[in-house]
Amino acid sequence: MKPKLVFGIIAIVGFTSLLMYNFGNSISTYTNFKQASHMGNAHVVGQWDDSKDYGFSMKTKQFSFFMKDEAGNVRRVIYPKHKPNNFEQAKRLVVIGKMKNGVFYADDMLMKCPSKYKTVDASQFKNSKASNS
Amino acid sequence: MVGLIGKLLIDAAFLCAILAAVGYFLYSQKDEERYFKISNWLFGIQGLFVLGASALLLYLVITHQFNYYYVFEYTSRDLQFKYLISAFWGGQEGSFMLWMMLATLVSFGLMKWTRKPYRGPVLFFMALTQIFLFSMIAGIHLGDFTLGASPFRSLAEAMPNAPFLQANPNFVPQDGKGLNDLLKSPWMVIHPPILFFGFSMMTVPFCFAMAALWKRKYNNWIEPALPWTLGANIALLTAIFLGGYWAYVTLSFGGYWAWDPVENAALVPWIIGTAGIHMMVVQRKKNSSAKASIFFAILAYVGIVYETFLTRSGILADSSVHSFVDLGLYGQLVVFMAVISIIGLGMFLYRYNDMPNPKRELNLMSREFLTFSGAMVLFLIGLIIALGTSSPIIGRLFVANPTPPEVSFYNNWTMPLAMIAAVLTVFGQYIFWKRQDPESLARELTWPVAASCVIALATIMIGGVRNIEYMVYILTAWFALIGNGVIMVRLAMKQPKVIGGALTHLGFGVLLLGILASSAYNSNLLDQATKNYNKAIVQGKVTDEQGFKKTQKVNFLELKLNEPKIINDKYKVTYEGYTLKDQARPGQQEYRIKFEPADGDGEQFVMHPQVYPMLSSSTSQNIQWSVDPDVRSGLFSDVYMYVSGSSYVEQKNDQLKKQNKGATAQPASSTSDTTKVQKIKLKKGQTVSVGDFDLHFTNYVPVDSSSLQDSTIVAIRAHLQLMPRGSDSSVPVEPLFSVYSQNGENWSYAPPVQIPGHNGTIQFSSVDPSKGEIELTIRGIDKKVKDQWVLLVAQEKPFISIVWLGTFILMAGFSVSIFRHWDRERKKS
Repeated sequence: MKPKLVFGIIAIVGFTSLLMYNFGNSISTYTNFKQASHMGNAHVVGQWDDSKDYGFSMKTKQFSFFMKDEAGNVRRVIYPKHKPNNFEQAKRLVVIGKMKNGVFYADDMLMKCPSKYKTVDASQFKNSKASNS
Repeated sequence: MVGLIGKLLIDAAFLCAILAAVGYFLYSQKDEERYFKISNWLFGIQGLFVLGASALLLYLVITHQFNYYYVFEYTSRDLQFKYLISAFWGGQEGSFMLWMMLATLVSFGLMKWTRKPYRGPVLFFMALTQIFLFSMIAGIHLGDFTLGASPFRSLAEAMPNAPFLQANPNFVPQDGKGLNDLLKSPWMVIHPPILFFGFSMMTVPFCFAMAALWKRKYNNWIEPALPWTLGANIALLTAIFLGGYWAYVTLSFGGYWAWDPVENAALVPWIIGTAGIHMMVVQRKKNSSAKASIFFAILAYVGIVYETFLTRSGILADSSVHSFVDLGLYGQLVVFMAVISIIGLGMFLYRYNDMPNPKRELNLMSREFLTFSGAMVLFLIGLIIALGTSSPIIGRLFVANPTPPEVSFYNNWTMPLAMIAAVLTVFGQYIFWKRQDPESLARELTWPVAASCVIALATIMIGGVRNIEYMVYILTAWFALIGNGVIMVRLAMKQPKVIGGALTHLGFGVLLLGILASSAYNSNLLDQATKNYNKAIVQGKVTDEQGFKKTQKVNFLELKLNEPKIINDKYKVTYEGYTLKDQARPGQQEYRIKFEPADGDGEQFVMHPQVYPMLSSSTSQNIQWSVDPDVRSGLFSDVYMYVSGSSYVEQKNDQLKKQNKGATAQPASSTSDTTKVQKIKLKKGQTVSVGDFDLHFTNYVPVDSSSLQDSTIVAIRAHLQLMPRGSDSSVPVEPLFSVYSQNGENWSYAPPVQIPGHNGTIQFSSVDPSKGEIELTIRGIDKKVKDQWVLLVAQEKPFISIVWLGTFILMAGFSVSIFRHWDRERKKS
């Protein structure tokens, strides 16, 4: 083979493997609190545990609540922003951050809302009445 | 009825497009003029039908016929007219129709301007892509399978399993769900049409490339295809710019770019299209890169289809804030993508050996090589972004349930490539216009390199740049700016028409500078107390109420009403109150945040961030608040802010919570014993503060006795002004105090007056005329005077203006090139 071709192939293979390696590292999987304590940045999926205290503190300027992950672990989550507006309605939460000393420090939080003009359910027709046309 | 006509129109248009495609195919093979004429007519009629169907859909939207799924899903009665029109492209089906209409327009242009031998195949492929788009909205039932989602389907068809529809199939909702509040923006009116115009035009180079492969004429397609490709690029760039600006001024994520899949969906085809333009320009000059130019032209459209698949199939629902929901088109979109890729790349491989080979010379100093390298770098950037966007699919190679990549993945990979691209632009431009050997090039570049070094050094020192990668980046960006600037000036003196390339590359340099400054040097506006608090957090000295260590910095600016704070020794910032602006969006508050120079002199300004209840997702139990940030744009920096919370919003939420509790827990309980009661005495002209209100007593006046009972001895009405503190509007409250006699005894009659929009009441309980003093009994309002506050997220963003400037220069550069290539084309025909 020509050296030029060999060089080209090495360059392409090298670039691609580096890219894929880096890509593989920069994505992670949705996980639970137990596993998150062994990870750096983690995405934990779960539901808000509404039986415990929650709220935004004006003193420390943080929102804290308890979340139950999909494995059933309940942990305190601290979020350094204001309470997201659709928080109480969210069916599912994804918190992104780090687990430290049994507390999850979230930098980001995503909410999956049931009614966000996406799925239709009958309750939305409450205020309307049947008519024929 | 209208729905049936709409469906028929779409079916007829679908049929016309298929027939036209067949006709164009025959024309391409047999070269008989009549096939071309007939097909053009068919395609034109197809366009008319789509136009008709769109008009019908618009009619349904405007007349609020909520028995149609599309109308119900995306509109409501309270929408303003302009948003009713833009709701037409608010959903998947309508936006496909918009895409098809614009593609038809583009096809008319192709019919008129494309010459033989390309015009048959070009229009054939145009019609083919149109057929695919039709298949997405056809709504034709084939047994259990439905081809596409018709915009004209009724609620019953869309949701056959919904119990309320099974009970009454003719059920018509009174109102629709409405357009998402974030889409009620003027940008929504112009952004999608421009985007889809870009998509439509980007189909053209694909069609030309396919025509070139079909007709085995690999060179001459460049010239007619180039203006279209440039046009597509400008349209996509404009759409990306508008999208970024829209996100910046109306969303609260605080920037113009977030590597969101939907943003990437427009960026990747734009980048690959730009790579294609580079190859086409070289091919036009030297016929040496037929393969690469055809490859990129195909790839740009494949990119559009792929990103369409990603955003419309629902596959990104978890990772994007604004991708569409799956309409059951997943399979069809896969087929669309597969067919386009297989036809495109299959034809490419089939003709691979037939295409002319570039002369075997690896001359590093040739413009072919440099331009090719530039295109490859662009291609790699596109590929990396596409890879990141594809994480829900490709990520499965690594983990079971992949999350989107971290933002650093995009930044770390695109930044070095952008630096290489910046350097290449200069070398490329110097060699493009003049044959150079290494020595002459070195001589010519001495001054631009020296100037770039000096200016970059100055930038680094003034900006306080510490990061070594940023330093190199700044140097390359200045090099691109200065090097291309020199070339441009030289060209402009001789031949102003050809400066497009140099101008575009100069814009690229400007854009790079702007991107770094605006994204890496954002700073939160914080007062000194918060900064000290953050220092303590970093040192690990702060624990929260529950005793946990606080590790995250506070980025809020808390302001109390009329209590200014000094920020960065630069601004004195004061919260001056809010105004209720019901006419814009019901319940909207506009806050007034005044900025004054800290040292007293200089310009002052007031910013007006807004908070409003999201109508589409609020319920009677819960208001979902949304924010509208305010941006004060400046030449050197922008101040950006939004309201994260306020006492007003808190109070509204509390009030709602109480109402809900009251409604569920004790429906019949009287409120008298649970509410707070307080008595206050007031003199004329005096103002007192209670709870969230300021109460001003103006005067009392005797009441005309004719309106009262005969037994009344005296009746007076107090004139009070009740003002929610911080608000600039007040409501008059005029409670009555009267004394009447009954059975020889004097009784007082003073009914409590309800405070508008509040649970509390005010009663005029007694009067002391000698002192001019009245006594009021107030129920349901806290005695304690409540602080009025607002919690802001405020940032200073340097040089965002440079990002816009860079974008405008890019647009201007592409436009100059269009004129040049278009001019030449016109002279030929």
